[in-house]
This record gives sequence, C-alpha cells and structure tokens, in this order.
Amino acid sequence: MRTCLIVDDSRVVRKVASRIVRDLGFSVTEAGDGAEALKMCRESMPDAILLDWNMPTMNGIDFLRALRREEGGKVPRIVFCSIENDPEHINEALRSGADEFIMKPFDADILESKFAEVGLI
Amino acid sequence: MQETVFNVLADLALKATGQAIPPSRAYLMEARLAPLARREGFGTLADLVHCLESRQNPVFRNEVASALLTHDTWFFRERAVFDTVINAILPERLDATQSGRLRVWCAGGSTGQEAYSLAMLLEDEPGASLRSAKIEILSTDYCKYSTEKARLGVYNHYEAQRGLSIFRLMKHFNRMDSGDWQANETIRSRVSFRQHNLMETASGLGKFDLIFCRHVLSGMSKAARMRVAEVLVAQMAPGAVILLGEGETFQGLTDLLEPARDIRQGWVAAGTANRAAA
Repeated sequence: MRTCLIVDDSRVVRKVASRIVRDLGFSVTEAGDGAEALKMCRESMPDAILLDWNMPTMNGIDFLRALRREEGGKVPRIVFCSIENDPEHINEALRSGADEFIMKPFDADILESKFAEVGLI
Repeated sequence: MQETVFNVLADLALKATGQAIPPSRAYLMEARLAPLARREGFGTLADLVHCLESRQNPVFRNEVASALLTHDTWFFRERAVFDTVINAILPERLDATQSGRLRVWCAGGSTGQEAYSLAMLLEDEPGASLRSAKIEILSTDYCKYSTEKARLGVYNHYEAQRGLSIFRLMKHFNRMDSGDWQANETIRSRVSFRQHNLMETASGLGKFDLIFCRHVLSGMSKAARMRVAEVLVAQMAPGAVILLGEGETFQGLTDLLEPARDIRQGWVAAGTANRAAA
C-alpha cells in the first residue's frame, strides 16, 4: 500500500485530510510540524507528503528544502497545502521543490485531482 | 412538493431543455431552485410557479429552466479525451482539410472549463502542424448565467483547482483581489461563447470539424436526445467528429452517425468510420 505523510499543526486539518487520503487508498501517518516530519522521513520515506506552510518549530518551506537535500528525499511527491495562496508564495513553494500546490480550504475532489496531477493515483 | 407544482416545473424543463425529471427527483428540483426562489423573494416554489405562469417572461423562464440543469464540470474532465483531440483528431482533421483552419464547438459547454482546457493545450503542447493552424473554439450553453461566467473566465478557489495543475493555473490565470482566478487574455482570445439551446437549430453557428457534447444527453428524454443528435449532425463539416461523454451513446437516436474507429467516445457520419481510418 502506498504511504502518505500528512504534516499540519492543526489536528482538525490532519483528521480531515487523513480521511480523504485513506479513501484514495493510502496508508497515512501524521506529523504536527516540519521537525517531526523530517524525523519520520529519515525512518521511512513516504510516497506522498501533504505539507502545510505555517507550523511551529520548522515550517513547511524549511522542511521541504531540508528534505530535498536528504538521501532519498527527492522520492516523495510533495503537495503543498496552504492558506497562503498568492502567486509569490505558490512560486516559492514550487521553486523549493513542491510538485503541486493546494490552496486551502480544499475538498476531496481537489485533493484527488491534485494527487492525479502528480501521478500518485 | 405539491404534484401540480412539480408538474409545471417538470413540463418547463422538458419543453425548454429536454430534461426528463422523474417525480422521484423532486427533492433535487427543490434544492436547485431554492437559491433562485430566495433571491427573487418567493416564499415557496408554488409562488414561483404562480409567477412563472402568470408572467410570460422568457428571461425568467430561462433562469428557472437553467437552474434545473446540471452545470457541474471541471478542467480536463475525462483527461484522455483531450490527449486524443490534440494528438490525433485535430492533426488528422487539419491534414484532411488542408485549409489551415479548424472549428471546434463545445455544445452544452456550461461554464467554459472544457473550452479553456482545449485552449490551454493548444498553447502548451501543440504538435508541429497545430502550431501554425487557426483553431476557432466556440462554447455554447442554454444558461445565460453560465455563458456570461464562461466569457469572463473567472473561477472561484474550488473551480480553479479542479482538474487544473498548479503550473497551468499559474501560467494561464491571474489571481484577482477577490481571491478568484481569471483566465488570461491569451487563452480568452482563443475561445468565444454564445447562448444557444441545443433543442433549436444551430445553423447560425456554421459547420464544425470537432464537436464536444459531453454529459449533455444524459438527463434528457429520448425525444430530446434524438433532436440534439439531429441538430449536431446538421453542423458537421465533412469528416467531422463528435465526442460524447463516458457512458453516452447515439445508438438508437440517429442512423446518421456511427462510432469512430480508434477514437473512444467519438462518432462520425454513418458509412465513413472505416474510410476515415484507411
């Protein structure tokens, strides 16, 4: 089964996203910030990462840049997922190594469509 | 819902747009008309129907019949079809016609996502032969509001993310202060929009080399589907292809069309499928 790591400091968002991603056939793990997510990736690299921007300890952009430098860190398809939805922020995420970008709030149709864009489903 | 109210609305939908709405879907009717009824200040659907009957207002009739239609669509719906269009159908038509121009019709194109999807593909990945061709895209819909929305090319946060990659969104759309996204000048200039009822002749629109008519026939009565088939056939240029949606067919509706060889969901003039492939 394919794996997806959901990184968001909001438990509610993680719960909603988990539900949708599970329905798409993924096994899901969760992290509350970038530092925790990086630790989890070092133990086991997921196929997909759904990544929030603003988080305590280590934010999404810093996590993304750090992960892409790790061994095997280019493997996961990373879908950024943020309320910051102006072109400057979106471009920064894409330049930093994100494969797709979801503007919050999102629903199951959008998540499925974006996962399809990057070949996850 | 009162039976008399249902009957008036079902009759309007059937006459105006060929929609066959069974009594079991009265709940859907209520849900779809609620925003319109609220906006116009009707307490109940019975009041709305009373107004509909006492005031022969074509604009209001269009609004009510439009509200009863399915408008749902998204960018690159049934994506494989678009690959076939850009890599096979359009180059083949261009080669056959030798005119350097092609006309494409999105019949029942709702809020324009289908037409804009094609316009984006023509910008992003035209094959060598398509690059220099002049390809006109016309999208029509019965609904006045959908046609106006399509023409503006403005999509909300949800619509702009359905079927559209972030790269295409950034390339072909501009973010507005409202947070909505508007198709840019380049792709808007490739597409035009007109209000048209598929139950009525389309001779004024001219002939087309490719016609999209996807997920339009599904909710219609058989008589209405036969009528639409007749209207579409009349606008086919020689060798034209009609594309239906997944699960739709012209079988039993017309003898003038047959399934195209090698084009999934594609239909061509009867007796030409084998010739076109040869």
